[in-house]
Amino acid sequence: MKRPRVVPLLLPLASLGAGLAVLAVFFSVLGYDPVLALGAMVRGAFGSWYAFASGTLVRAIPLMLIALGFTVGLRAGVLNIGGEGQFYAGAVAAAWIGLKLGAWPGFAATTAVLAVAVVAGACWVAVPAWLRLRFGVLEVISTLLLNFVAEALVSYMVQGPLQESQHIYPQSDQLPLAARMPVFPGTRLHLGILLALSCSMIAWYVFRRTMTGFELRAVGRGPRAARVTGGLRVQRLGAMALLVSGALAGLAGGTEVSGVSYALYPNLSPGYGFTAIAVALLARQSPMGIVLSAILFGALEAGAGAMQRDAGVPAVAVYVAEAVTIIAVLLADALSSRRRDMVTA
Amino acid sequence: MRPARLLLGLLALGACTRAPAVPEGLRVGLITPGSVTDAAWNSGAYHGLEEIHESLGVPVSHVEARTPAAQEEALRAYAAQGYGLVFAHGYEFQDAAERVSAEYPRTIFIVTSGARTNHRVAPLIFRLEEASYLAGMVAGRLTRSNVIGFVGGVELPPVKAAYEGWVNGATAVNPNVQSRSTYLNNWDDAALGREAALALIRVKVDVFHHNADAAALGVFQAAKETPGVLVFGANADQSALAPAIVPGSAMIDLPRAFLAIAREVQKGHFMPRVIVFGLEGGVVRYEPNPAFTGTLPTDLGPRLQAARDSIIAGTLRPTARPRHRQAGAAPRAGAQG
Repeated sequence: MKRPRVVPLLLPLASLGAGLAVLAVFFSVLGYDPVLALGAMVRGAFGSWYAFASGTLVRAIPLMLIALGFTVGLRAGVLNIGGEGQFYAGAVAAAWIGLKLGAWPGFAATTAVLAVAVVAGACWVAVPAWLRLRFGVLEVISTLLLNFVAEALVSYMVQGPLQESQHIYPQSDQLPLAARMPVFPGTRLHLGILLALSCSMIAWYVFRRTMTGFELRAVGRGPRAARVTGGLRVQRLGAMALLVSGALAGLAGGTEVSGVSYALYPNLSPGYGFTAIAVALLARQSPMGIVLSAILFGALEAGAGAMQRDAGVPAVAVYVAEAVTIIAVLLADALSSRRRDMVTA
Repeated sequence: MRPARLLLGLLALGACTRAPAVPEGLRVGLITPGSVTDAAWNSGAYHGLEEIHESLGVPVSHVEARTPAAQEEALRAYAAQGYGLVFAHGYEFQDAAERVSAEYPRTIFIVTSGARTNHRVAPLIFRLEEASYLAGMVAGRLTRSNVIGFVGGVELPPVKAAYEGWVNGATAVNPNVQSRSTYLNNWDDAALGREAALALIRVKVDVFHHNADAAALGVFQAAKETPGVLVFGANADQSALAPAIVPGSAMIDLPRAFLAIAREVQKGHFMPRVIVFGLEGGVVRYEPNPAFTGTLPTDLGPRLQAARDSIIAGTLRPTARPRHRQAGAAPRAGAQG
């Protein structure tokens, strides 16, 4: 049956409202003016074009890319929990190649940087993909564990081969201008947003309109049926989906280095790889949903900074607030899907 | 489509909640790279901010920013809102502060442990090694196993310097002292700090010093669990964390330093420069725990005083390489282990 299209959007919104109401109570109890605090949060995320572009969208870019990757995997029935590690693999590769390309023209240099990041992300996940194909190792575990390896790799890189030229601080040199992605005038929003949006559209098209999308879905929904009745090479499709998934997370790492930090740092990601899983789950595998969901999570983070800055709410309370909002949205989402299941059953 | 409308709605909502009018006069911002509940580096900075608020009566604001992206954003946000003075509390802010400063010439950025002066960015350097040297002297006399330990966060120049000062101080009073050190590559993970300390205890370390912020809370934990193990505090007076096992702290009086700078800025005669604080003037100092007063060797007090005076006079360099390791090497100019 065709479900009404408004409901899936209305419910998360209502729950967002409910979450904010809980927050208001929470802030009052702690002794902070809830109007001031939540006002600062909304202003910090959406208050101006600058705030929206530089705070919210800049954070939404890596979330979008990694969440898209996670969704590609999910559609094919593989769980890539290693977005964080693939992000870092992409970031290391981007910094490494970016530092060598100072003499290239800007467009070529940034393209090369991002391309290398994509390859690095895919390579990082190639190990779990191969282990899965060859030995049936669960990718949930192998991708997760490779996150720690990636973090250690970054730590090593910034104190070893990629350390800045004075060899004092654990960070790389700043990328040459040629390797930096252009930003929209007057903001910190870089061209990565166009990449992220294009990837979402491509994913939407592939999922909806192509044979591959159909096969992915078939494999994800019922691997045995897909193999028996469709003659699909389930394992190979799963491995391919993993590679694409890693490539997207690697691209996220590349855009972060080339568009935001301009250097490799050990704490580059505030856990994008894990937040992105929540982004993807909330979006229910819909690429366009991911765009919105990533913006919502980006807004939460941006608003959290503003709440500390402008309303004097301490960081710890802000973290609680963020978590409450996320749980509220996810809970409402789960409730609404249960209701729908009951309707369709 | 609906998504677009939702976005527009939120944007409109944001625009409705108007920003408060920009107040006149100085406002001071602080950006910390970690939690201000670490009882050391970041909490000291936060106290400094509170001190500025109370003493100078100026509006202040704090934000915690852990990633390079969030750090640059915070710097920009304060500058764009017209904050006159922003403390960026860590070396990692240097590059971003220089980038932002080029666009916002009205804001003064103080980068703690920063590298250089540029535009209106000024580094604030604390010679903690001078106080760690004094802590090391006390440790050298208190250790029974003659093995002292150090747990560091990340191997940065100021952290390494503090470690060298600590070892040199200990060997100055006790030539038999050996030292062990561990770096955690982390400032937050107290469980990791505890593991590192326990591992060092197994190789006979009985007196610790640290420079690991919140992760060091695990070092205190390990010491509390193991009878006879002592910990010297760092960056703040940490005696209160565990009065029975902390003989003293190599501390930075961050509030005093911050307040001095804010005063200068408020009066309008701040000039960007490399700002250095050491034992001289008392911003960096060795703060003994009063609970240990009767238990220390009586000759130690005068020796500490003498060492302090020599450091201030410049005749004793806390980080100079100790003599016993220089055996056979030509004496270096200025090295006075």
